[in-house]
Amino acid sequence: MSALLPDLLAPGDPADAKREPRARARAGWARALRLWGPAGFLVLMLAACFGWPNIYPVPNPVRGSVLQAGLPPLSPGHIFGTDPVGNDVFSRILYGGQISFEVGFGVTAIGLVVGGLLGMAAGYWGGAADTIISRLLDVLIAFPALVLALAIAEGLGPSEVHVIWALSVFSIPAVGRIARGATLALRGQTFILAARLSGTRGWRVIVRHVIPNIAPQLMTFSLLGIGVAIILEGALSFLGLGIPLPEASWGSMIAQGQQTLSASPDLVLIPSAFLFATVLSLNLLGDALRERWGVR
Amino acid sequence: MAVAEGPEPGAQTGRARRVLGSPSLRLAGRRLLAAILVLWGVTFLTYVVMNLLPGDAAQELLGANATPAEVHQLEVQLHLNEPFWVRYGQWLGDAFHGSLGTSVVNGENVTTILGTRLPVTAELLLYAFVGSIAFGVAVAVLGSRRPNGVADRLSMIVSMTGLSIAPYVLALVLIYLFAVRLPWFPAIGYTSLTADPFQNIRSLTLPAVAIGFPLFSIYTRLLRADIVEQMQREDYIVTARAKGVPPWRVLLRHALPNSLFGLITLVALNLGTLVGAVAIIEPIFSLPGVGAILIQSINDHDVPVVEGIVVFFGAVVVVANLLADLLYTALDPRIRYERAAS
Repeated sequence: MSALLPDLLAPGDPADAKREPRARARAGWARALRLWGPAGFLVLMLAACFGWPNIYPVPNPVRGSVLQAGLPPLSPGHIFGTDPVGNDVFSRILYGGQISFEVGFGVTAIGLVVGGLLGMAAGYWGGAADTIISRLLDVLIAFPALVLALAIAEGLGPSEVHVIWALSVFSIPAVGRIARGATLALRGQTFILAARLSGTRGWRVIVRHVIPNIAPQLMTFSLLGIGVAIILEGALSFLGLGIPLPEASWGSMIAQGQQTLSASPDLVLIPSAFLFATVLSLNLLGDALRERWGVR
Repeated sequence: MAVAEGPEPGAQTGRARRVLGSPSLRLAGRRLLAAILVLWGVTFLTYVVMNLLPGDAAQELLGANATPAEVHQLEVQLHLNEPFWVRYGQWLGDAFHGSLGTSVVNGENVTTILGTRLPVTAELLLYAFVGSIAFGVAVAVLGSRRPNGVADRLSMIVSMTGLSIAPYVLALVLIYLFAVRLPWFPAIGYTSLTADPFQNIRSLTLPAVAIGFPLFSIYTRLLRADIVEQMQREDYIVTARAKGVPPWRVLLRHALPNSLFGLITLVALNLGTLVGAVAIIEPIFSLPGVGAILIQSINDHDVPVVEGIVVFFGAVVVVANLLADLLYTALDPRIRYERAAS
């Protein structure tokens, strides 16, 4: 069929076989770059945030001197300048990045474990378990999760661990829904049926057959989830309900910079740029992996 | 999704059975029931979270210097000393009668608060929504005309940007660029529609973009993927092309309507999360909408106000999901029969 109507089926997209070797090599490079570009940036960011302060001394992120307050970027000793209290912005970016990654990974891990188990149980066993779990996830999805997260963060008081708990409200139903859908699709397949007919116990089928098969889908989804969690941590800190001041978080740095936006926009723009670049890399990496693993 | 259930044997006869047994009516009824259950779950969850967490409104209102006796007196006055179940039952009963209670902080009627503040939020969301859907559909169609062409790549870059930028970052960047650097729009404040329509649109443009741009990006990506899939996989597209239908017409009249299902589902689902976006964006621009008061009410433990806002948005989500269901059947009559049969 496609040999008969090549340009009708794929307009503007020349068939791979027709391409010259050089064009194909270039496409290969582009594909590799799409994966390793964002992955490399993320590794660099992780190394900088968690490694740099231990290897090469940076100024203390919270005990800056008021004498050095409000220095512009590229000042000697303060590459990104200092904030109105005299704290070094570069060092706050690194320490704030630690918080962002920890919250992002923590929230996603909780989502994967709790949401994943709930979703797989609902999808695999069906029946009453499915009804109850699905309704529960429905409520959580219909619920304006930020309100719940804000209420939890406000009630428990600002701290990093509480932010992780509060933001799990987002990740658990999202992962749960994906896991349920993927498990449901697998359930009808012959190899699952064969495993069940040969008397394999339910949890063993889940561990040996379901998890490996839905892992790619959950992995790519989790990368997006980490990005969302990082943005939401920033939102909570931006509203003063996240990481308690004076500890650094990209969100609270942006919120503080808002007060001097017209005088020194760099205090908003620098943490914003790091936030954006990190989330962008996570999204691009997710896209590249999805393309590679053929996950929809 | 719906479980196959035959009509109960011998339960009804004649006309009653025909009407009540009508599969599509029963499906609609079941969906409505499920939606109401979800809405109830949402109100209950809000109440639990707002009440069981540490901190209470009386202490918050009186400040740290209040004596325990004063706090207790205010608690009695606000009925905060009664058990949780009693308070929730009372609230639920009142809500069924159309009363959402009064604010704990200033005694104002919650329906009055919503009445004065909702128009601002509704206008903002409408602005953001219409813009994001209109641009999203247009860009997705332009892009999917030639997958991997220039327009497509550009649109993917723009939508990837929108997907990765935090709304509060976008809001501040917009303020810096278009209110501080170029004085095109006011940085903060709100002018009502009746006072000055032009100023009204100007005062809502930046916040609407801050809320709408991320939505636009999600919609564009989803719709573009769906259209491309339709164009590459479906036989009716090949048929249409083979009989000489112009490419634009194939795209707009054949592929687009059949690609809208995912978008409609997403729009309906997304409505609920918008309350979060509003809560962050409105305070940045000093807009007197429900988002601004939501944050304040959560801080004050003002349960009735938070409940009122959550219930309202929950109801909007429920209605939107039912509308989405109706739209599906309007777009594709087959669904009516398929769903009725399942």
